[in-house]
Formats: sequence, structure tokens, C-alpha cells
Amino acid sequence: MAAARRLKRVVASQTGFLNLKATSDPEGLVSSSRKRVNKNKKKNWNKHSDINDVEEFLEDVRHQERTTGGLISEKSDDSLFFLDIGQPKKLEQKVEPVEGRKRKGKTQRPLRIDLILQRDSLVPPPKDVLAYQQPNAKKLRRIAQKAEQLAAKGVVPRRQKRLLDRRPIEQKAKKAVTEANNNPDRDFYNIWDQETKETADPWYLQQTGKKRVTRPVRLNEKPSVLPAVEVIAPGGSYNPDFFSHQALLQEAHEVEVKKQKQEDKIEKQLAVNKEDTATEETTLREQVEGLVEEEIEDDDEASDEDEEGAAVGAIALAEKKTEKQRKKEKAEKIKEQQRLASKLQTKQQQQLFQLRSIKATIRNEEHKTKSRQIKRKTQQEAQKAQPRRLGKLKFQAPDMEVQLSDELAGSLRQLKPEGSILKDRFKSLQKRNLIEPRERAKFKRRLKLKYVEKRAFKEIT
Amino acid sequence: MGGLQKKKFERGSATNYITRNRARKKLMLSLPDFRRLCILKGIYPHEPKHKKKVNKGSTAPRTYYLLKDIRFLLHEPIVGKFREYKIFVRKLKKAYGKTEWSAVERLKENKPAYKLDHIIKERYPTFIDALRDIDDALCMCFLFSTFARTGKCHVQTIQLCRRLTVEWMNYVIASRSLRKVFLSIKGIYYQAEVMGQLITWLVPYQFSHDHPTDVDYRVMATFTELYTTLLGFVNFRVYHSLNLVYPPKLDSKAEPELKEANEDAYAMNSESYLEKLSALSASLARVVSSAEEEEAELDQFPVEGEDMEKMEAREKELKQQEAQKKIFQGLKFFLNREVPRESLAFVIRCFGGEVSWDKSVCIGSTYEVTEETITHHIVDRPSIDKQHINRYYIQPQWVYDCVNGKILLPVEDYFLGVTLPPHLSPFVEEKEGDYVPPEKLKILALQRGENPAHEQEDNNSDEEGEEGEDEEEEEEDDNEDEEEDDEEEAEEKNLKKLEEGRSQGKSLQVKVTPGKVKVENPERLEQEEKAEEKRLAIMMMKKKEKYLYDKIMFGKKRKIREANKLAAKRKAHDDAEKAKKKKAKK
Repeated sequence: MAAARRLKRVVASQTGFLNLKATSDPEGLVSSSRKRVNKNKKKNWNKHSDINDVEEFLEDVRHQERTTGGLISEKSDDSLFFLDIGQPKKLEQKVEPVEGRKRKGKTQRPLRIDLILQRDSLVPPPKDVLAYQQPNAKKLRRIAQKAEQLAAKGVVPRRQKRLLDRRPIEQKAKKAVTEANNNPDRDFYNIWDQETKETADPWYLQQTGKKRVTRPVRLNEKPSVLPAVEVIAPGGSYNPDFFSHQALLQEAHEVEVKKQKQEDKIEKQLAVNKEDTATEETTLREQVEGLVEEEIEDDDEASDEDEEGAAVGAIALAEKKTEKQRKKEKAEKIKEQQRLASKLQTKQQQQLFQLRSIKATIRNEEHKTKSRQIKRKTQQEAQKAQPRRLGKLKFQAPDMEVQLSDELAGSLRQLKPEGSILKDRFKSLQKRNLIEPRERAKFKRRLKLKYVEKRAFKEIT
Repeated sequence: MGGLQKKKFERGSATNYITRNRARKKLMLSLPDFRRLCILKGIYPHEPKHKKKVNKGSTAPRTYYLLKDIRFLLHEPIVGKFREYKIFVRKLKKAYGKTEWSAVERLKENKPAYKLDHIIKERYPTFIDALRDIDDALCMCFLFSTFARTGKCHVQTIQLCRRLTVEWMNYVIASRSLRKVFLSIKGIYYQAEVMGQLITWLVPYQFSHDHPTDVDYRVMATFTELYTTLLGFVNFRVYHSLNLVYPPKLDSKAEPELKEANEDAYAMNSESYLEKLSALSASLARVVSSAEEEEAELDQFPVEGEDMEKMEAREKELKQQEAQKKIFQGLKFFLNREVPRESLAFVIRCFGGEVSWDKSVCIGSTYEVTEETITHHIVDRPSIDKQHINRYYIQPQWVYDCVNGKILLPVEDYFLGVTLPPHLSPFVEEKEGDYVPPEKLKILALQRGENPAHEQEDNNSDEEGEEGEDEEEEEEDDNEDEEEDDEEEAEEKNLKKLEEGRSQGKSLQVKVTPGKVKVENPERLEQEEKAEEKRLAIMMMKKKEKYLYDKIMFGKKRKIREANKLAAKRKAHDDAEKAKKKKAKK
């Protein structure tokens, strides 16, 4: 307080001090009221001494420092005032500057707007204390210190240790990821050279999944005897020998004829039978059907009735046999048996004289069976090379690749390849029974399509 | 009677087979996955002998597998991978649907994949097994490697196929094992002999693909997946058998030669090495740098008598084979830009020739057109503007025919603008008495070392062939005739000699000369003896055997007759052609 007062006095004594707020008049305020108070107590000093003027003054000083950057009284006149000379000089100035200098000046001198906006208060902006503060700073600092100490000793915290433990495993796992089979840079090794001998019991290894189940030998047999690559006939050369080409053409022709025959056969079967078509007679008969009574039918009916009567009679006849009848039948039966036995005996006796012819028949039969056996065997052999029926569809042999005489190219450059090798390979796989012949799956629409005419379109039509 | 009633279809073949759908359900796989698994494991459908017994009395056609096979499939670890993949796809779909991109990324990173190595080992327990089944693999890989990189199959698969086929071709070149080539209208058939196994494969012509719609690409891709793995392992093995570095490296000597200024323009850095390999113009690096030509001499064991002869014969054969492997040795080829570069380079290099092409055609050309030492320039156009003097300009078929004929054929028939002789299939093996086209006869004659005068007229050779056949026929007709013929020939010769003597000496010198011991030709005597024996044997035959013998002979004669007929036809055809030509010329 004392200092303030002193300051006030100092300021008052200073002649040059300028008051920013002209309205405030210290004299008036002081004179308004005055109380009598003991001044021997510090409490009363605080309570009753009037410090408004000092405070106002200080406020003013601070205000000046804040807004103008220092006391105005201490500032030079140049910074506060300028000489107003008027407009006309500007024209001359505009003419004068050279381009280079102008640019240079521009870069050096800041814009006026920037100058105006420049902060010129002496008081720095207030700091945001919270921005610098850290919650739990002390605790954290202590933890960090401790960690540092431990690190210096070489002790790793548990969490970090766990992380460290996990890291190498992860790396291993990354490396062990199998690359795709069709990776063009994959490497190969000698697969047929590793002869690792198992020490453990093979059954144990197999059951625990450490060893694969051995492949049955039967599976390594090929399902067909056909070779993997069937070379085209010599007539299929790009520049064939005349006769082999003709032979190939002949073959292709035969295939084509066979196909045609089959088609014709189907067509024939589908054709309308001539007998089924209506003739004049049949139409007439149809028209008079039921109008003309036919006697023939009556006759038929009569005969039918007769037959029925006979049948009924037969059923009625089945009556119990008499004793006599039974005996007679039995005797007849025995007699018949005896007759047959004797006949057989004589026949066997006779056969003794037919030995030669019997032998001949036996030989004939044996010959027949043998030839049949051979035939069957050859058929079986031929079957081995045939495609089997492996599914719904039968194997359809692909069309033969043939170039007609006028299609043959004169040189390799002009050659136009025939057929597709992809298809050839595919059919070969089918032919060798490796895959079953299949039709391409048809696209099935799940939801029905609905056709709607657009309105714009409708208007036109 | 005691015991339970036997039920139908619970015993026998009904329990041995399982339908496809039931098998699929047993394995808990979708149909495409099941199909893939079967292909990979080599398990194929079966046709039961009695369909009614298997199908509960119905004969409706269905696909059956053997139950034991399916049980075996249950142990396969790949089945689990298939299920994992299914789940992966489901999760991925879900993540996409929810637009959770981080999840999509994570899932894609952990995409389940599987290896086929153990299946290869299981299906092909030894290397030879694998080699026997390599035909299919080669065909498929060559086919897939020519596919355009469109969406028909994975680009990676195409790249892998390309890599493997290039490796294979390089191996065939290094081992000189190519035997036959056949240019057909479908594609090019090659046959190589690798470790005693004849391997045939088919390579499509370049740019000849239209994708057929009735082929199941998924099935083909599965086969390819298996076969690429197989071919990779086989490649590794065959490379190591030749001491070659695998994956193949270009020879360090050849590498700087191939460096070119415009290399970057041709291919990306990552691809240029494969491209250089696929140019097939440089040899490969070996593990142990060996001498240029290592010719392993056969070990010789001292043997006596017949074995010795056999050994000699075999040695001779081997030598011949060696010579056949080098028919293009020392020749320098240049390929014009319109010929199929890869095929020709492959074939020429397989037989020891050097080959190059225009720089703009492909990477890896070794010399220019202007090189003086080029011996053969392969052109496939009717005429060429600028011709160098010291080289032959020939059509590409010459190379292939030489390979099939196993000798260097005369180049005259293959000059520019000349009508080519037919390209015969080397895969046809004529039996005795079959019709042999005259062109083949000519090549055979050349192989024997004879030189049919082809300068005179083409017909000559044909006639020769016919004569040969006629002679054969006669031989089989009657052996006695032959003897007489021979005697007659001998007499004729004597007469000729006398005449010559006359013409030379002009006057006959009458002189008494000491009697000479008649020199008997031991070979001829032997032949006569043999013929006699044969005749006697025929006479002594039983009736039954004689009948059979006659039948066989009749069949043979009929064949010969047919062949003769064809030959005559051919001659008539040729004559007609010639007449036509003459007319045209006039």
C-alpha cells in the first residue's frame, strides 16, 4: 500500500505522465467522504485507507501496457503522430519505383494490415496451466524412475516380458504360412531322396497322425490302358502324304456317315405312319359308326356265350374220384414209370454203339466253348481300352480333326490349327476314365424375371 | 430254420461301392471340393459290374466310387484345408458385406493354403513312376503356359506353367534327348527319351486359342495344380542328374553375350531372366564346371566269341546314336521373323546347332543376319529380297524332317518357293509288307548311305522302291527262283566282264590259263542252305501246321498286294500331277 502511494506520488510529481482515462478525477473521490478511524491498528489501515486513486493509476498503467505496449508518455512523438501532407504526392511516387526495387520493397516491408493487427502489448497472453499439467504426474514420475532403475539392473517388467515371449512365436508363425500352390517362384527339392527311418512303432505313429496312412497299391493302377497322349494319324500332318491324308479323310467320312445314319433312323422313327392317316374309307366308317347294325357282332356274342357255358360245366365236373378210379390211375402211373425206365435203359445201351457220334458232339461243344472263351477274352481286352459308363452321360468321342484337301496350308506360316488342344486333353481325361463325362451345369434363375414396360417407353408405343 | 432273415443289398458288391453323393456327404465336402480331392489323390470313379446289385435293384446310371477308396480319403489332411477354405470364404464374404476392410485385409493375409508335396510322394513312390506319368503333366503345362492372361485361370498358374515348361525344354536341350517331332494340324508333337522312358507331349501352336465352352476349366485347373507340382519335382531331379543348377542359371560364359542395350525395353527386370531362359539360346550353368564335351567312354570288358560281336554291334549302335544327337553340330541357323521361333530354336539346339534371330523378335539373339558364318537361313515366305551368297535359304520343314530322318537331308527339296515333300509322321512304324510312302523310302535309302539320284527324276526313286518290293515278293513266292536269279546275275556279270575285256583289249588273247579253284561265296552258300532247309521244313509240316502256314503267307501276300496297289496308285497320281505341271508350264 505504502509502495502504491509512493508510486502515486512519484507519478504525480512526474510532469509528463498522461492519464488514459481523462474522466476519472482522483481529487473528487478523495474529498467525498472522510471517516475518523484509529490508525494505530493494521486492521484499520487495511479497512479504511483509500487506495482507489493508486489502484486506478496502476490500472491505467497496466491498461496502457496491455494495449499500446508501454507507457504512452515514454513513447516518441513519431510513433504517435504523423504529418498529414495531403493527397497529391501519391502520383509521383507511383511513377518512380523501378520494377526490381518495387518487388524488393514489397518483400521487405510487411503489409500495413499486418502491422495493424500486430500485437504490441507488453503483457504476454495468459498461459493455460492445465495444458502443462499432467494428472498423476507424481505417481507416474515415480513409476518411471523405478522402471529406469530396474532397467539399469536388467530386470524386465512382467508385461513386457510376456510380449517379448510372444514375439518370436508370431514371427515363426508368419514364416510358416504356406504359400499358394501356384506361386510362380516356389522352390522344389528332391522329394524322392528323403529316406527317414522311423524309430517308433508305425501303428502308434499312424494312429497319432504323425504318419500318413499308406496308399493301397491298387490305387496306383491306371483305370485305362490308353496312353496319355495319342498321336494323331499320319494324315493329320500339316503337309501330309497324299494317301495317309486320304485314309484320314475316309475315316472321318465314315464317322460322319454313321452319325447321319443314326439321325436318319431317329427321323424315320418319328415320321408319321402312313397307315395311321385317315383314308376315305375310314372316315366314312367313322361317320356311320353305330348307325348300321352289324350281324357279325351278334354271331360273336353267341359264340362267347357258348364258351362260357362250357367253362361253367368244367368246374361243375370236378367231383370226388371213386376208389376204382384211384387204383386205376395209380396202376397207370406205375406202368408209365416202368416204361420210361426201360426206355432209358435201352437208350443207354444203344448209346454204347453211338460212342463215336457222342464223342464228336462233345468235341464240337468243347470247341464252341473254347471259341466263346477266346471271344469273350478278346472282348474284355478291347473293353479295357474303352471308356466306361461312369455317370449319367456316355462318353462322346470328340470330332476328328481333319483338314480337307483345299484347306491344307502350303507352308507352316499359313497353317491354320484345327481343333482345340484344351478340349482334346479334356476328352482324353474322360476317355481314360479319370473323370466322368459331365454336362455343364445349367444356370438356374432363382427368382422369376418380370418384364415391365417403362412409362416413358409406353407413351411412345 | 433259425437265424435272421438276410436282407437285400447289405452284402457283396452293394457294400463295396458308394455313390458319389454319399461319398461327398461322408467326407463333408461340397461337390467341387470332392471332385478336386479325387483328382489330386488319384481316385477315380468305378463302373460296377452289376449295376442292379449296387443300386438297390435300379439300373439308373450313377457315379460310383469304391468304398475303400473313400475311406482312404478320410485320412487326407487336405480335406481339413478344404473345410478351412470354405470357412475363410464365408468370413470374407461377411466382412465384405459389412465393409470391414481391416477384417478383409486380416483374413486375406491368413488365407489357408495347402501343399501337394506329400500327395506327389504318395502317388509316385519312385522317380521312375513319376517319369512314366509325366506326359500328361507336360501337355497340360505347355497348354496352360500358352493361355492369354485373361480371367480364364489364375495368372500365377500360367506363370508357373511357363517357368516349368521352359525348365523342361532347357533340360531336353542339355541332355540332347529329343527323338521325334511331328507338326500336325493340332499342334506339335515331341518325343524325348529321358532315362529310358519315352515321353511324348503336345505343344499348341502359338496364338491358336479359342476357349471352348464345353470344357470344365475348374477340373483342368485342378489337374494342372497337381501336375505343376509333379513337373517341378521331376525337373529338380533331372537337372540334378545332369549336374545342372536348379533353378536353372544361364552359363556364366553365355550371360554377358546376351546382355543387350535394349533389354529393359523388352521385359521387366523381374521377368527378363525367365525370358532369357525361354529364348533357349544359351547353355545352362552346371554345378561342377565341367569340360566342354564330356564324353564318357564305355567301360570295356574283355569278352570272347559271340559276346564280343554283340558288344561291338552295340557299341556301333551307340556311336550311331551319338552321331544322330549331333546332326546340327557346327551349323549356324538364322530364323527369319515369320517362322515359329520357340519350336525351331528348341529343336535346333537339341541337336547341337547354333541359332539366332532378329533382335526385335525376341530377347537372347546371339548374332546378326549379316554374320558371315551362318550356314542355314530359315525362311517361310515365297521369296526374300536380300540374299547372302554363302548360306542356304530353306523352309522350316527341313529342320523337322532332318530330325525325324536322323540325317541331314539334301537341302534342294526345301529351297524357297519349292513345293515341299510331305511331312511324314515319325510315330508310324511300318511293319513288314505295309505300304511305305516313297518319300520315306527315299529317306531310308539315305540313311543306309545310298544316294538315290534325285537330280534326274523323282520317279526314279519310286521305281526303285517298287523294285525292291517286287524282289521281296518274289523271295517270298519262291526261294528256288531266287537262286536261279542269282546264278543268272552272276553269269551276266561274267559276260559283262568279258565284254568289257573285249572292248578294252580289242582282240581276244587266246591263252591257256591254269585252272582255278572255283571260289565259293560262303555267304551265298549259307543262304542257299538256309533256303533249302526252309523248303524242307515246309515239306515236312503237318497238315494242320501247313494250313496255318499257308494262311499266314496268304495274309502277308495280300498285304503286299495291297501295298503294291497303293504304290501303283501313287505313281499314277504323281504322273498325273507331273502331266498337269507340264501342261501348266506350256
